[in-house]
Amino acid sequence: MMDRSYKNLLKMHRYPHTWCPGCGIGAVMKNVAMVLSELGWNHENTGVVSGIGCSGRMASYMNFDAVHTPHGRALTAAETIKTVRPDLNVIVLSGDGDLASIGGNHLLHTSRRNADITIFCNDNEIYGLTGGQAGPTTPKGTKTITSPRGEPYSPLRLGRILTHQAPYFYARTSVYHLNHFRTCIREALQWKGFSFVDIISDCIELNGRRLGFKTAHQMFKWFDERFHIVEGTRDHLAEDELGIAKAETELKEAPKPGEPLRVEAEPSKEDLKPLTLKDLQRFDGQEGKPLYVGYKGKVYDLSSSPLFQGDKRMRCHIAGKDLTREIEFAPHGEDLVLKFSVVGRLV
Amino acid sequence: MKGFLSGNEAVFQGALRAGAGYFAGYPITPSSEILQQAALHVEENPEFRFLQAEDEIAAAIAVISASLAGAKSFTATSGPGFSLMQEAIGWGHVVEAPCVFFNSMRVGPSTGMPTQPAQSDLLQIKGGSAGDYYPIAFYPNSVEECFRLTVAAFNAAEESLSPVVLLSDAFLSHLYEIVDLDAIEVATVPRKKEPLGKGQRLFTGISHDKMGNTRTSHPDIYQEWLAELKDRHLRVAEKYPLYDYVPCKGSDTLLIAFGITSRVIAPLKERFSLFRPIRIYPVLEEELQRITSAYRHVIVVEGNDGQYASWVECTIHRRVLRVPCLGGSFKLGAIRHHIEEGIRGAQG
Repeated sequence: MMDRSYKNLLKMHRYPHTWCPGCGIGAVMKNVAMVLSELGWNHENTGVVSGIGCSGRMASYMNFDAVHTPHGRALTAAETIKTVRPDLNVIVLSGDGDLASIGGNHLLHTSRRNADITIFCNDNEIYGLTGGQAGPTTPKGTKTITSPRGEPYSPLRLGRILTHQAPYFYARTSVYHLNHFRTCIREALQWKGFSFVDIISDCIELNGRRLGFKTAHQMFKWFDERFHIVEGTRDHLAEDELGIAKAETELKEAPKPGEPLRVEAEPSKEDLKPLTLKDLQRFDGQEGKPLYVGYKGKVYDLSSSPLFQGDKRMRCHIAGKDLTREIEFAPHGEDLVLKFSVVGRLV
Repeated sequence: MKGFLSGNEAVFQGALRAGAGYFAGYPITPSSEILQQAALHVEENPEFRFLQAEDEIAAAIAVISASLAGAKSFTATSGPGFSLMQEAIGWGHVVEAPCVFFNSMRVGPSTGMPTQPAQSDLLQIKGGSAGDYYPIAFYPNSVEECFRLTVAAFNAAEESLSPVVLLSDAFLSHLYEIVDLDAIEVATVPRKKEPLGKGQRLFTGISHDKMGNTRTSHPDIYQEWLAELKDRHLRVAEKYPLYDYVPCKGSDTLLIAFGITSRVIAPLKERFSLFRPIRIYPVLEEELQRITSAYRHVIVVEGNDGQYASWVECTIHRRVLRVPCLGGSFKLGAIRHHIEEGIRGAQG
């Protein structure tokens, strides 16, 4: 006997729901609810956020405190709820048009900030609620009511956008590959950080029929032809692969912050070699001699400075001179001199 | 905190006094100091949450969402950013999210004259978002009042369960005055609304019934909901009948000005009566009708082309003279000249 306790997470009294017969959204909602139920996530520890569109209506059928945002803003709302209430698990249920088109900027930045939320994207490659207009994920060449000659542009590759910078969790699955679908939901929910499940789904009424499919099942078979499941964890997924791509840290190690600077005790003034202004003049950096300058009673060795380039003069700074006054009036600070080593004191 | 504070600093301190726990914003002059102060405040107070968002759309959505999640929240912006926030403000009224939107006005439309002061976002408060809603908006004219009215805005938000707008201008935001905030006593209204995770409610921008079920083809449910919303907002607004009236004996002319303009024309109090609305919206109907009835000439001096004047005309059912201060120019000499010319024209 199948475990039906997931139904406690759905507002069954609101049924029948608003979606067309054959639509994939019902499968998305049911399977998410089943995994949530298995994991023990409920209205006391979880908040649900959704956007606008057919898929955005999922929030209103779920027995949680649910936030139904304006179009495209689900991710920002979810991130904020997690920020203010770290004790809550936050999931987002929405569609490809909402998340990737009008909410595209938020998708980039919420993933960049690695907000600890899980997104389930019903990716049906069309704007269904408004009547079947081309969307950000509509494949090139597809005829829709706003692309009567076939969509002229390539679709947004969510898999590439969301895996360009670790940490990331991106899973692509479909409503037809049920076991794989549930595995992806479970792994995404358990991932700490931003996790995105791209669910290839069907819109038979406003996309499928125009494409020539008679039933939703024919569309599912088409998904089976277009995609194949890859096992194990990948770094990235090819466009025809269903699977999980994840990385916890950058694949190529970023350079580590440098060793802490060693600060050597400055020699006391008396220990320094005394130099008169006349002595100083000899160290002008010419003919293999070191390049010294005076500053506030001390002599600094600027031989390694790239700025003089073998010349005796660099703008108003002259090698072998006391530059205290010049540096006071210079557009830069004294730090440019202080970083060099002290070799003597002016007497 | 006592010292030489700017309007923006006073607003931030006011928000903290009111119990704010969340700030989201996007840099825009002349409001950025508040974003910066929030970033610094988080360093010492990690329980305060802060987001520098990717745009004002996200900042405004974050503020509403933080409010639903249980924090007193606010944002700060200027005209162009306020335009982007309108979507969220409309949503905030429907999902009943108490929060504060601070708008420091500059010359518009669009990028306008960055960043000369103006007072030209009044119509945006009332009509920037789609549909009918009844916002409450306050407009201080001194640094101390920035502090007091920020607390009042948070209180009105909690009482009306909706976003409240606090106005300022580029002038007032960067005006420094000596204030002793510790000596100011203000009452704060605590959060009553249950935070998220306490039930199975639906917070949706779709028209809905009292149970939170979406109802998209029920005019009676919508009408009942809107009437309740309007009634609640007007009742809360009545608690804040804020204005300043300085009568001048023997004068037959009333000057109406608010925000920085009221400071600029203060020297004219020897010749004219002055009226300063502090609650900008809903318009102070009863007060305006009562006070203007005693004057032959009513003149509105404001940093836009007659936005408040048109509201006054609708309220008192007679023509008023307009003295617009445009392009960031608030010069007393020019204003006085305009006023005298207007009165001569009306008499002639």
